[in-house]
Amino acid sequence: MYDMDQLTDVLTALSHPTRRAIIGQLANGPARFLDIAKPFDTALNATTKHLKVLERAGLIERQKHGREVLISFRGGPLREVAGWMHEYDRFWNERLDQFEQYFKNKKKKEKK
Amino acid sequence: MTNSKKTLEFKFDRTIPAPPAEVFDGWLDPKIPGNPWNMAEKLLLNPKVDGFFYWLIKENSHYGRFTEIERPSRIQHTWMSRSTLGEETTVTLTFKKQGEDTLMTLVHTGIPDTEAGRGHERGWNHFLDIFPEQFGDGSRKEK
Repeated sequence: MYDMDQLTDVLTALSHPTRRAIIGQLANGPARFLDIAKPFDTALNATTKHLKVLERAGLIERQKHGREVLISFRGGPLREVAGWMHEYDRFWNERLDQFEQYFKNKKKKEKK
Repeated sequence: MTNSKKTLEFKFDRTIPAPPAEVFDGWLDPKIPGNPWNMAEKLLLNPKVDGFFYWLIKENSHYGRFTEIERPSRIQHTWMSRSTLGEETTVTLTFKKQGEDTLMTLVHTGIPDTEAGRGHERGWNHFLDIFPEQFGDGSRKEK
């Protein structure tokens, strides 16, 4: 049900404090590359590498706005990870969806 | 995250297009898809107060005891499996009439909040500790 390769990429991306800080920054809104790099006392190419890891995990995307490239946060992969974490969350949601669907189908048949 | 006695609670709501009594009965009928007893490899089910159940699926045994049966409004039973690490957890269902439908609520409490209970791998606790700081309420520390 879950794409384990993507999970691995997301978990790898989250395993580094700088990358978590970048996500935290982008959660407040899109930013340009230099604005992202500024708070960190690292070389620009280190920031570039971190962004590549985040991009591979699907946690950020780049969009061109005229001459500028804005980098923004994407929450989808984190929701997948959260769902995967909670075994019972997944279990009951799947069960209840099936149960609900059974009664919906039954009602449809009765109307015919 | 170091307290192994910390427990998790999950709550789910569904609106079912049928009256409460029908939904209540459906939840206890192993033939109806979606309830816990459906698709069992082995099932022993005695849905009355102090009745027990045994449910085997994918080589994972589940055990429990019904503690409340109030047709058509409420079912409560305990729930133990390898995912609860032998701890007795509690599943409570309520069925409330909502027009022609039923608002069904399932609450599962007392689930051990451990790495094994969550079914995840080592290293998660660190992430879970840091996650609320980053996303909780926008109160991220500014540089």
